[in-house]
Amino acid sequence: MTATQGYEVILRTLKSGGERVGDLDDTDRKPDPWESAMQATCECLSWRGSWDNLERRHTEDELGETIYDQFPVHSRSAITTAHTFLDRGIVSQDELQEKMTQIRARLERS
Amino acid sequence: MSDPHKPIQASEEISEFEVLELALRELAIEKGLFSAEDHRRFSEWAESIGPSNGSKMVAKAWTDPEFKKRLLENGTEASKEVGIDWTDPTGTGTPSDYTFFYVLENTPQVHNVIVCTLCSCYPRPVLGMSPDWYRTPNYRRRMVRRPREVLAEFGLHFPSDVEVRVHDSNQKSRFMVMPMRPEGTDGWTEEQLEKIVTRDTMIGVALPSADWDASKAPSAGGGK
Repeated sequence: MTATQGYEVILRTLKSGGERVGDLDDTDRKPDPWESAMQATCECLSWRGSWDNLERRHTEDELGETIYDQFPVHSRSAITTAHTFLDRGIVSQDELQEKMTQIRARLERS
Repeated sequence: MSDPHKPIQASEEISEFEVLELALRELAIEKGLFSAEDHRRFSEWAESIGPSNGSKMVAKAWTDPEFKKRLLENGTEASKEVGIDWTDPTGTGTPSDYTFFYVLENTPQVHNVIVCTLCSCYPRPVLGMSPDWYRTPNYRRRMVRRPREVLAEFGLHFPSDVEVRVHDSNQKSRFMVMPMRPEGTDGWTEEQLEKIVTRDTMIGVALPSADWDASKAPSAGGGK
């Protein structure tokens, strides 16, 4: 069951992640390494029985064309996984936000 | 001349999506949904797959007309005969989501080539990781607009009466080219044929040749 509106912690990522302005503009974009890591995360979730890949694909289509339709297509796995974790109560918004803050600080440390 | 050993500069900007990906992965690990070792093993395995499954399918199709028919009619089903189940991705450790898989047959009149204009969709279960150039905007953008020009850059030239068909992969559909069996391979076994069905011939930017096996380093005396 998916929520009818987006979670604030996810919607905030759009600011620096880049808004979806039209798929054809994406032809100039080179995939980022994090996308492969995200794919592996999704595969591990399916492999270990938490979230079937095909079910995720359907959720990506559903959320990507509705409440998160302003997000770029390449971000769908990440936002759909985040949304589903929140929906299922696996993590809370505060927990996800805190983890993101910690990670950003870690990555920015030289 | 630039120094090839200069240090790699750290990216100036860390994207929110990059942060989100790492956060989700670490939280999933903390919650016990999978382990860090699972993630590392899967990534390592996925990146090590080569094009041998695709080569196997083409070689089998060249020698078995009934398999060829099945492969062209329903690539997803026929793949199972060589051990690839597209509908059960992690069941076979396939690093791809569920998609429809189509095999495109080259003929003397039609040459097929694959691309993904939007991102980097590629038939990974059968061809492994895509080559760097496949993911470049240069290839993706130009292949759909000027395919003959791009193919010529790979050394591939076709007369004007050969139709070049470009197939744009997407989230749901993946393609692979079945090249024509080259001359000089009569009586070859499937194992021998597999070796000359290289990655590039199944993308469509090259043609197989009886004297070329991509597993060997090009030498001054070998190949064309």
